[in-house]
Amino acid sequence: MAVAIAAARVWRLNRGLSQAALLLLRQPGARGLARSHPPRQQQQFSSLDDKPQFPGASAEFIDKLEFIQPNVISGIPIYRVMDRQGQIINPSEDPHLPKEKVLKLYKSMTLLNTMDRILYESQRQGRISFYMTNYGEEGTHVGSAAALDNTDLVFGQYREAGVLMYRDYPLELFMAQCYGNISDLGKGRQMPVHYGCKERHFVTISSPLATQIPQAVGAAYAAKRANANRVVICYFGEGAASEGDAHAGFNFAATLECPIIFFCRNNGYAISTPTSEQYRGDGIAARGPGYGIMSIRVDGNDVFAVYNATKEARRRAVAENQPFLIEAMTYRIGHHSTSDDSSAYRSVDEVNYWDKQDHPISRLRHYLLSQGWWDEEQEKAWRKQSRRKVMEAFEQAERKPKPNPNLLFSDVYQEMPAQLRKQQESLARHLQTYGEHYPLDHFDK
Amino acid sequence: MAVVAAAAGWLLRLRAAGAEGHWRRLPGAGLARGFLHPAATVEDAAQRRQVAHFTFQPDPEPREYALETQSPLPRNFEMGQTQKMNLFQSVTSALDNSLAKDPTAVIFGEDVAFGGVFRCTVGLRDKYGKDRVFNTPLCEQGIVGFGIGIAVTGATAIAEIQFADYIFPAFDQIVNEAAKYRYRSGDLFNCGSLTIRSPWGCVGHGALYHSQSPEAFFAHCPGIKVVIPRSPFQAKGLLLSCIEDKNPCIFFEPKILYRAAAEEVPIEPYNIPLSQAEVIQEGSDVTLVAWGTQVHVIREVASMAKEKLGVSCEVIDLRTIIPWDVDTICKSVIKTGRLLISHEAPLTGGFASEISSTVQEECFLNLEAPISRVCGYDTPFPHIFEPFYIPDKWKCYDALRKMINY
Repeated sequence: MAVAIAAARVWRLNRGLSQAALLLLRQPGARGLARSHPPRQQQQFSSLDDKPQFPGASAEFIDKLEFIQPNVISGIPIYRVMDRQGQIINPSEDPHLPKEKVLKLYKSMTLLNTMDRILYESQRQGRISFYMTNYGEEGTHVGSAAALDNTDLVFGQYREAGVLMYRDYPLELFMAQCYGNISDLGKGRQMPVHYGCKERHFVTISSPLATQIPQAVGAAYAAKRANANRVVICYFGEGAASEGDAHAGFNFAATLECPIIFFCRNNGYAISTPTSEQYRGDGIAARGPGYGIMSIRVDGNDVFAVYNATKEARRRAVAENQPFLIEAMTYRIGHHSTSDDSSAYRSVDEVNYWDKQDHPISRLRHYLLSQGWWDEEQEKAWRKQSRRKVMEAFEQAERKPKPNPNLLFSDVYQEMPAQLRKQQESLARHLQTYGEHYPLDHFDK
Repeated sequence: MAVVAAAAGWLLRLRAAGAEGHWRRLPGAGLARGFLHPAATVEDAAQRRQVAHFTFQPDPEPREYALETQSPLPRNFEMGQTQKMNLFQSVTSALDNSLAKDPTAVIFGEDVAFGGVFRCTVGLRDKYGKDRVFNTPLCEQGIVGFGIGIAVTGATAIAEIQFADYIFPAFDQIVNEAAKYRYRSGDLFNCGSLTIRSPWGCVGHGALYHSQSPEAFFAHCPGIKVVIPRSPFQAKGLLLSCIEDKNPCIFFEPKILYRAAAEEVPIEPYNIPLSQAEVIQEGSDVTLVAWGTQVHVIREVASMAKEKLGVSCEVIDLRTIIPWDVDTICKSVIKTGRLLISHEAPLTGGFASEISSTVQEECFLNLEAPISRVCGYDTPFPHIFEPFYIPDKWKCYDALRKMINY
């Protein structure tokens, strides 16, 4: 009954309003209603009215031929709290985070930055096989991580190490995964930066892009059923958003009413492919309404904007069981990975602009300075300290052996199948005879 | 004259169409209804659509099943209260048991809410609620990805892919994600509580996209299990095992058996172990291996061999494609010295190749004849040519005869 009334109300509101306006007017319902949003196809069927009766759309007739112009000249506006100099623009949007929290944001970003420098260099020196830096995107990581509960489940793509950093994932374990050493909880199976942490609710990264998107939706559905009061956040880049899995995930989240935050890091490039070759519409945020998803675009280099948007999205996603899409605009300052040299497809000037004029770390530092919570001395001391911490972890990681080669064979299934055990035994026998040709010295006995 | 000839020609077409049951579709067919004669002649029988290429044979009752469970001692299984169920009903029963036992279990896919296009989920939404039995949008990669996500949280996800022919959009999620979840995370995460069910195999008229048996594509993927039942009793026990198994499983249901196969099936839940082939008939001269519908074909071939050639066949239902039961097959071939494997899927790269290759490695000196594979041709699955395409009992019998005379 309430559903029918709500449906009728929405139907009346539909008249004379544009689609976009309708979405803004959608009132959040309280959790516990049979449906959070009035279903649009449940109107009473009446053949006497000259109104559209199609089950597939809730709209009025129009007798003028008009194509909707996709509005890409002036796209969805970008929400920000701080200007590029770290000054709050609109005081009512200042989240007024306590000093400890803002310092934690700052230290997470800078520690990540330091770790990135050292590990990138270590790949160049042949110590690890591969690395991906997070330069320029640190704000998207920590701003969003800080707005979540520690138990909210995270599905990432590969450039979200700051989320783990914010959740206090130890340097030792970052390094262990990159080195594939005996301390790696992933047991040395994946390339560097494919982190995972059960304790910190960070699902292990996999290389195929966007596969995590429908998975995150499923996890959110399960969280909803379990009444877990938990949101799932799913990170992906603007390139991955072109994958079919992204479309699948968005559509499922909306139709199945899942408490999920889709967080798109739009950093301008998918390896060498600029956004002008990735999409022709208004970025990723503009796709949300097409699926019936609440959407916003934010300045990803503004930690407070990211924080505010994620915080509100989290509150409503859990309360209303609906998905939210946040497109965080940012810039990938580093190369795609150690296998990439981005000077082949973009100018050094462009990169320098972002590094010098619009960097999440600098902007937050300006804010800290203006609050009197930080100064040059502390900056120097922290730089020294963070560098030392990273170097210590690095040297330790380097010294540790790799895991026992038997771990090549376990965890394919929960139990090892007979045929696989035979293969494991066959390798053991092979190594007995030919062991000298293998790097056994580096591996745990 | 021409008019009479034309009318006669038209009538013949209608009769032929009538024999096939297609008469409604011909123009003017409504008017011609009075002209149709009862289709009782020999020509009509030839033009009538093919009857099934197999005869379903339920396993003999009563059944005592020794189960290997967590406990070291095998438990003997008593059937308990049973009900006559066909294959889709036995699937419904398994799903019903699962949702009753496991409050986290959910069933989803295209059209499952109203009961499913093959009626496998009839009644479940009413019984367990719309949050537990629900439709998804039409998107297989989404269905499987979504299912993986549910399983990652530890809840039980039972996904349906409407036809195995449409599983390919989900191939990436299955092979790159589901199969590798536990391994790549060092066992921090897994999606073991995911089961994917899908109708499989030839159905008489399915053609390219409603007849496929894609098990070979998945056999090449360590980390998942692929299971195919031959009967309602097997289906329920194997499906329950898949659902409870701690690894992602694909359960292919021979759609031609949904109605054609019916037998007494226990109402209560029970498990049939995975990765265990079953010797359903013992023999000494030839080993015949198949799975799904084809088990009934080779069982009939075994009878033909006995009757016409005096040959004693050992008939084995493989049941789990991966990880497969090498020991049971090899043990049998060591005894008989001859092996024939048969499946509907195309010959090249079909799962018979894997069995053949392994058996010749393990049992080379025991073989009396080359291993024989009787399979579908290396073509897409045709429509009108299905009777010629499928590895029917005559082809299997002929191959067996050649093996015996080698």
